[in-house]
Amino acid sequence: MDLTPNADQEAFVTATADWCRDNMPLENARERSPDLWTQMREMGWLGMTHTDLGLDHATEALVFAELGRHLAPIGALSTAVARRWTGTERRVGLVIPAADTVRILDGTGASLALGLRDGDAFTCALPAELASAASLDPSATLARLASTPALTPLGEPRAALHLQLLAAAYAVGCADAARDMASDYAKMRQQFDRPIGWFQAIKHLCADMAVRAAVARSQLYFAACALDAGGADAAFHIAAAKHLADQAAVENSRANVQIHGAIGITDEAYPHFCLKRAHLLTFVAPASRQILLDDAA
Amino acid sequence: MDCNFSPEEQQFRAQCRDWLYANVPSEKRPLNAIEAIDFDKAWQRRLFDAGWAGINWPAEYGGRGLSIVQQVIWLEEYAHAHAPWIGANFVGINHGGPTLILNASEEQKAWHLPRILKGEAIWCQGFSEPGAGSDLAGIKTHARVDGDELVINGSKIWTSFAHVADWQELVVRTEEGSQRHKGLSWVICDMHAPGITVRPIAKMSGQVEFAQVFYDDVRIPLANVVGGLGNGWKVAMSTLSFERGTGFIADQVKQSQEVSELIERARATGMIRDDRIAEQLAQMRAEVAALQAMTYRNISEVARTGQPGAEASVIRLFSAELGQRIERMAVLLLGEAMLDFRYGDDNAVADYLRGFAATIAGGSSQIQRDIIGERLLGLPKSR
Ligand SMILES: Cc1cc2nc3c(=O)[nH]c(=O)nc-3n(C[C@H](O)[C@H](O)[C@H](O)COP(=O)(O)OP(=O)(O)OC[C@H]3O[C@@H](n4cnc5c(N)ncnc54)[C@H](O)[C@@H]3O)c2cc1C
Repeated sequence: MDLTPNADQEAFVTATADWCRDNMPLENARERSPDLWTQMREMGWLGMTHTDLGLDHATEALVFAELGRHLAPIGALSTAVARRWTGTERRVGLVIPAADTVRILDGTGASLALGLRDGDAFTCALPAELASAASLDPSATLARLASTPALTPLGEPRAALHLQLLAAAYAVGCADAARDMASDYAKMRQQFDRPIGWFQAIKHLCADMAVRAAVARSQLYFAACALDAGGADAAFHIAAAKHLADQAAVENSRANVQIHGAIGITDEAYPHFCLKRAHLLTFVAPASRQILLDDAA
Repeated sequence: MDCNFSPEEQQFRAQCRDWLYANVPSEKRPLNAIEAIDFDKAWQRRLFDAGWAGINWPAEYGGRGLSIVQQVIWLEEYAHAHAPWIGANFVGINHGGPTLILNASEEQKAWHLPRILKGEAIWCQGFSEPGAGSDLAGIKTHARVDGDELVINGSKIWTSFAHVADWQELVVRTEEGSQRHKGLSWVICDMHAPGITVRPIAKMSGQVEFAQVFYDDVRIPLANVVGGLGNGWKVAMSTLSFERGTGFIADQVKQSQEVSELIERARATGMIRDDRIAEQLAQMRAEVAALQAMTYRNISEVARTGQPGAEASVIRLFSAELGQRIERMAVLLLGEAMLDFRYGDDNAVADYLRGFAATIAGGSSQIQRDIIGERLLGLPKSR
């Protein structure tokens, strides 16, 4: 039992964080370079999930938390999961099914999309001319399909868990980003002749952000290890991780807006990037309350 | 990173479990410290004789010298087996002993540590005073050096188990006129010394477990100072950081068991159909899992670096507040039966009333949030 990253994993995290900072800063989330997908593929993140590489889910979770911290494209989740369970090397959109319609995120340039329905993973073919437009999350494009496409079940229960785990990792990263943005601002912004972080009302909001992020990250690590171990408790632990990570991402993003004051609610400042990403993630492989209540793990 | 215990650790777990199932006493631990003291001492002696006391304490002082992971496994199995709380031995095992291991002289360690492990010496912790709670550096109880003795005057309060204790980890001002963290000393105080008066204090749960202690020209040998005269703050902090790190593992396992029991009860009574209750229970289920994961992360950090991670105060804060949410849910599920509570009952209502202490004792939640904001996030110090 060791829930701290080993030396190889540390190296992955550092390399990912360094690259993201230089090439995919959070601040550019709504105007990513057109080459970003090619670069991400070259860096290996979209294909690191393939069994040939022999990397475990724990390493993936660590790397995807870093990607999530920089608000990497949401379609990287579906692409990485499809790589593992369908073998495709192509870009794969993310499906969010609803009762009345089907939403495709980051479907531009993809011919296939992947998502969950009733807890099972499926893929569907995308029309050649997908009319993608903006979505709530400024980093993601959205298309709505008028008629429900034919869904092809992947027939592999682990695929759904895999998507939920990586989405939880993204949310953990998002929660970290909001926490750090808030505490950086609280150290810098001065009112009443001192940094606002001096005031306990602000300091304690920041402390609660740190708690939520630490809680979610810890459960993410355990969940990833549980999936690697292949035990029956993996579904419970991943659901718990997703539930807590979504909560941490949404609540931290909301607190971050408050801590920024008026600038926090503007389009030009960055807090809304985290907030909108956090809300989007709650619709990606959401945790089932039933699994949380049922499983004694 | 992995969540599997090694074959040796699993074997150790099986040994813990076997012994506990055969030896956990069937009678309940009495509620009040005075009535519980014989029970506590006898149970600690049994643990010691069977080799389960001080699992990760050094072997030369009666411990087993095993790893912190094995200590955690023991505490997990201990809670799973519903073994009794170690009660009056808590301070010696979790504060006094570890502080001595880190700071005391060979002589002090050789005398005290085995007695703590055997349940022969009950310890209490005399840090807080009427005027110094969260602001511990405001300590006023003072000691004047007279030959090879300290002469102590003043008062401590909220001292758990003071009325049954043999020894006290006592922090006093040994340098006259010194301010704040300076001039304090950490002293092993004999609770049977002349001049000590103990006045027990009842809690709103009805339990009588802590007390106010008065010192009237109490004479303690200078040789009982630990870590050197004037170094009391440093020595005291080593205890507190321990408490914030690994001191509460059995409680965490108990919290997880409690959530499972609450879900069963909510199902049995049909209250689970209330959406708000179902949502809160699902939330707690996820949180107790995460608390365990966070503790494992912290333990892994200790195993790797010898130090608890900076996130120890996160665990402390989260665990205390989670515990209170669980206790509150338990009384919510009780409904009007909550009103039947009387002093002396040891049930969910008693747990609920006792549970208020969790966010006050050992550094209040407000103080923990300051620590997290300042030490973890680097925000400016407000005190
Ligand atoms: C069950 C129990 C057992 C205990 N056992 C022991 C023991 O064995 N030995 C021992 O020495 N002590 C013991 N204590 C005492 C404990 O350490 C103190 O209660 C604790 O440090 C808080 O001090 P206080 O009670 O004086 O509260 P205060 O410090 O007066 O705090 C009152 C309120 O003010 C808040 N507050 C204080 N300072 C600040 C600040 N700077 N910013 C924001 N809010 C602040 C607190 O959070 C709290 O809500 C025990 C306490 C309890 C409840």
